[in-house]
Amino acid sequence: MSDNDTNDDVRTDGSGTGIVAPDDETPDWSERKERTQGLSRLTYEYFERSRREDQDLRQQSDYVERDVLAFPAWPHEMMRNLALTSFFVGMILFLSAALPPEMPAPANANQTPAIILPDWYLYWSFGLLKLQNLNPSLSLLGGQKLMADRTYGVLANVVVVGFVAIVPFLNKGSARRPVEQPFWAAVGMAGVVFSLTIAALSVQNLIPMDSNLLLDLTFLFPIVTGAITYAALRTMREGYMFNLNRRYYRLRPPK
Amino acid sequence: MPLDEDKYPAESGRRRFVKGVVGSAALSTVGAGGAAALDTATSSAGIGGGTTTYVAIENTAGPAPRGMPLIPLTIESGELKGVWPEFDSERGIVINDDFGGSGIPYSSQMLQYCGLQTAEGVYPQADQNNTFRTGSGTYAWESEYDQGVPITVDMFDDYKEWGNGIGKDGLGKPGTGTWRSEGDVKTIPVQVLRSPEVPKIANGEGPYSSIPGPVREYFKAATEDSFMAWANKCTHFCCVPGYKQLEGSANYDAENKVYCQCHQSVYDPFNPVQKTMVALPRPPQ
Repeated sequence: MSDNDTNDDVRTDGSGTGIVAPDDETPDWSERKERTQGLSRLTYEYFERSRREDQDLRQQSDYVERDVLAFPAWPHEMMRNLALTSFFVGMILFLSAALPPEMPAPANANQTPAIILPDWYLYWSFGLLKLQNLNPSLSLLGGQKLMADRTYGVLANVVVVGFVAIVPFLNKGSARRPVEQPFWAAVGMAGVVFSLTIAALSVQNLIPMDSNLLLDLTFLFPIVTGAITYAALRTMREGYMFNLNRRYYRLRPPK
Repeated sequence: MPLDEDKYPAESGRRRFVKGVVGSAALSTVGAGGAAALDTATSSAGIGGGTTTYVAIENTAGPAPRGMPLIPLTIESGELKGVWPEFDSERGIVINDDFGGSGIPYSSQMLQYCGLQTAEGVYPQADQNNTFRTGSGTYAWESEYDQGVPITVDMFDDYKEWGNGIGKDGLGKPGTGTWRSEGDVKTIPVQVLRSPEVPKIANGEGPYSSIPGPVREYFKAATEDSFMAWANKCTHFCCVPGYKQLEGSANYDAENKVYCQCHQSVYDPFNPVQKTMVALPRPPQ
C-alpha cells in the first residue's frame, strides 16, 4: 500500500489531471492532419461528394466548358517570349546606334581627381572608412592603436552589415504597422537616418561644416530620430489602436 | 498512422549519428583535397617582399597606416635623379644597407605596396633610367613644360617665394612627376619639393632638432640643394595625394602639408620618420 502512495504512475481512477507527457507514440499535429479517419476523413468525404455532384451537374448541362489552366509553352508562350526578347534586343541595338559613344580619356595613374567618390549607393560604406577618430588609442599599448585605421574602417562595415543581417532573427516582424512595435520602428528609423548621415560623412570634404561636428552629428542624429520616433509612436499607439478596434469591432467611443 | 511508416531503415538516433559522422568526413575530405589540388595547380605569388625598414614623410592624420617613402635623390648636370643602389643578387633587391652612414637601409622594397610592386620600375634590373620626369602636371606652373621631360633644378628657381594661394607662401615649390616609368609601363608617381626647410631639417635646426640622429643623417644624404622627393602613393588605399594642391585641404589643417582627397589622410613632408612596413612580393617576370 505504501508504494502505491509514492509512485508517480498515471492513475486512471479520475483522481489525477490525466495529462500525460507526449512520448514517441503520441502523434504530432502534422500527423494528426494526415490521418484518414475521424473528422478529417469526414471532411474529405464531404468535399469529394460535393465535387462529384458538381462534376455531374456540369456534364449534364449543354454548356461546353474548356478546362484551360494556361497557354501551352509551344507555340503560344514561346511566341510571346520571342516578341519581348526581340523588342529589348532591338532597343539595345537602337540605343547603341543612336547615342554617341562615350569614350573618355584613360585613367591617369599619376593623378587622383580632386573630387573622387564611389557611386552614391556606396557612400555609406565609404563613410565607414573615415571613422579613424573613433579608433581608440590604448594607453596600455603606449598610445598605439590596436588596429590600423583602415582595418578599423573595414571592420566597421562588417559590424554594420552583420547587424542588418541579424535583425530578422531578433525580431520576426509580425507587426503590420509601426505603431504596433514602436521600439523596432524606432530602430528602423534610426537605421535609415544613419545610412543618410554616414553617407554625408563620406562626402565630408564637400560639406561646408566642421568635420568633427559632422562626425558627432552622424551618430547623434540617428539616436535623436530614433528617440523621437519611439516617443511619437508610443503616444500615438493608444488612439491608433482604439480607431483600429472601433473599425473592426464597431465599438462605441467611451463617454 | 504516418504515411511513410514503411520506410526502411527506420530513422533512429544511431542512424542520424552515423549520417553526421559520414557527412562531415566527406565534407572535410572534399575541403582538404580541394585545397591540396589548388596548391599544386597554382604557382606561388611572387618573389621578395617582407619586412622592410625605410624613412617616410610622417602620416599625421587620417586613416593611412604609415608615411609615404622618401626617395633619395641626387642632381646631375641640373637634372634630378633618384638614387638606385647596387643590385643584391642574393636578396633579389636593390639595397644600400647603410644609406649615407645613417645605419638605416634604403631598399627598393619600400616601393612594393599599393600595386607599385607590379610596376616595371621596381624591378632591380629594369631597363629604366633614374631621372625624375614630368607627369601630366597638377600645378599651374607645370603646364608650360612638356610631359616626360626631365625635371630640372631651374624649374624651381623661385622656390623661396612660390605660392599658389593655398597655405603659406615661400614654404617650398612642389612638382609632380614619374620615376623609372618610361614607355608603356605602369608608372611610379613621385612628388618633388624644393623647400628652404629641407637644409634646416638636414642640419637639425630649430624645431627640427628633435628628429633622431640616424633619420637626420639619412635625410641629409637623401636630399640635395633643398630638394626632396617621395613616392606619391597614399599608403591607405593608393590614391595620389598632393602638397598644396587642393583648397579643401585647409579644412583638415593640411594646407601646408600633403593631403589625400580620398579619405583625408595628411602627411607632413617636413618630418621624416623611420618606419617598418611589410613589402608585397613582386610578381615573377
